[in-house]
Amino acid sequence: MELFTKSSAVRTFYEGVNILKTIRRYTGLYKAFLFQNLKEDMIYRSNFITLVVMDIAFVSISVVLFKIIFGHVNSIAGWTFHQSVILIGTVGIVREMAYLTFRRGFLELGNHIRTGTFDTFMVRPILPNIHLAFRHISLSESLGECIMGVILVVYGFMHLNTWSLLSIPLYVLFLINSLMVYYGFSLLINSIVFWVIKSQELNTIVYFFMETSRYPGDIFRGVGKILFTFIIPIGIIATAPASILTGRMGWKFAAISIIVGVSFLSTGLYVWKKSIEHYSSASG
Amino acid sequence: MPISIQVKNLRKTFDYFKKEPGLAGSFKSLFWREKLYNEALKGISFEIQEGELVGFLGPNGAGKTTTLKILSGILYPTGGEAVVIGHVPWKREPAYQKQFAIVMGQKNQLWWDLPAQESFTLNKEIYEIDTRVYKNNLDELIELFDIKELIDVPVRKLSMGQRMKCELAAALLHSPKVLFLDEPTIGLDIISQEKIRKYIEGYNRLKKTTVLLTSHYMRDVERLCKRVIVINNGVIIYDGLVEDLMNRYADYKTIRLRFSREYNENGLEKYGNVVERDGLNVVIKASKEDIAKHTAKILSEFPVEDLSVEDVEIEDVISKIFTG
Repeated sequence: MELFTKSSAVRTFYEGVNILKTIRRYTGLYKAFLFQNLKEDMIYRSNFITLVVMDIAFVSISVVLFKIIFGHVNSIAGWTFHQSVILIGTVGIVREMAYLTFRRGFLELGNHIRTGTFDTFMVRPILPNIHLAFRHISLSESLGECIMGVILVVYGFMHLNTWSLLSIPLYVLFLINSLMVYYGFSLLINSIVFWVIKSQELNTIVYFFMETSRYPGDIFRGVGKILFTFIIPIGIIATAPASILTGRMGWKFAAISIIVGVSFLSTGLYVWKKSIEHYSSASG
Repeated sequence: MPISIQVKNLRKTFDYFKKEPGLAGSFKSLFWREKLYNEALKGISFEIQEGELVGFLGPNGAGKTTTLKILSGILYPTGGEAVVIGHVPWKREPAYQKQFAIVMGQKNQLWWDLPAQESFTLNKEIYEIDTRVYKNNLDELIELFDIKELIDVPVRKLSMGQRMKCELAAALLHSPKVLFLDEPTIGLDIISQEKIRKYIEGYNRLKKTTVLLTSHYMRDVERLCKRVIVINNGVIIYDGLVEDLMNRYADYKTIRLRFSREYNENGLEKYGNVVERDGLNVVIKASKEDIAKHTAKILSEFPVEDLSVEDVEIEDVISKIFTG
């Protein structure tokens, strides 16, 4: 009995060390890939600036739209103007976080599979989904929206008096949770690619998924609410972190968000792993 | 010598959908599709010893690339077994992935817009190569492949032959024990082809790496390998010494001739088999041994306008194996 507990303690210790090692390895890899991608980005500098300017313009348009709407009503589904500004800003932040990790990889996935260059991801000693993500880290793609996002969140936050000391760390926690939802959802949708090869349309779905998430989850009722919380979780992505900052978060919604985050990520990873076995590579 | 690659009764079937031509066919296939099967590998078996350099020869679509892809874990087989340096490839264990490399002639693994050097340093991270080992290997490969001037140029600006050299170097930085090469000379001019062959041969001799190389050029295999496996329609039809294969099935070369005017038709027969005659164009199959002597004689005796000597095509060898 004593031996058993000892060995299991030792095992837990080694597993802990292994997890730490894995984290260190992937952080190192992330850094190496990030620099590589930045070097590639810089070759097309003019493109970089255009993207940032365009992003800022787009976000400004949606703020103006909201401003017009709030000229007529005081709140949308209980969200005031300043609260909505935080919501829009949060979408921008989540999106940039996604571009800094996995988003562009999925946009390129269809090409990799059609031309067979996905082979490379199958033979390297890195998980294929992580290699795909890191191969296409993009700083510039959504940078403008992120800058705008931070400005909006700070601006909205300063006009509210609902904050507490915990607000900011909790906000970051729920941002990460949203990223998990987003990643899990992307994995699920993109797993289809191993069966149908063309993925352009698939990522349009993901795009609208993110576009729609700038509306507060509270606008959905009944069946819609269930659908957009558990099945297509757009009611969580921006709404959950924004609810923290605006002091609208309740225990129930917090718990649901985390559960959805964890289950989307784990289902996504599982389905992806199974789908990869169906990869048939391009001949030649 | 220990066994490096062991393949037993390996099978792979691809399924795909039949689509009728035209828009109507596409529309119909949205609702009803007929599933078809393509047996790419019909149960092949072979063994390769450590340090061997084996050629995998066959026409397009024979199953060469499919075999290589299964052995490197890219594809899951439909049935059968394979063990490479103690690992089942399709489990894709990092411990295995760090010990082999695959280079595909038609696929680019380097970062297109960046100099090859950048891809090399990234590979150092990916394969967790120790800094000192990395420096040594890099110097060695730069020397061996003569790429000192190439590694600082963006990959997209390199010629195909130059790029292939860099591809090879990138794949060898982690000193793999097994190297899979899929058509490494495809699309290259004759001189670059010969260079790549020289590098592969040199590397194999230096490092004793097990190399399995596919090609549909007889020349690749003839020049590089002692042993050859010939595959056709997913079945191995020959496994043995290259020398024997050449002696038995490819002991001739093809001479293509074009004459400038009428010539003595009977005089050609003594230099080889006339297989084709079309006006002033003639194709002769001549024994390999005195090919130089014979062409010299033809040139001096006949009004030759144009002459070329070609190697045997793999398709000819295969049909000869079947007919005996």
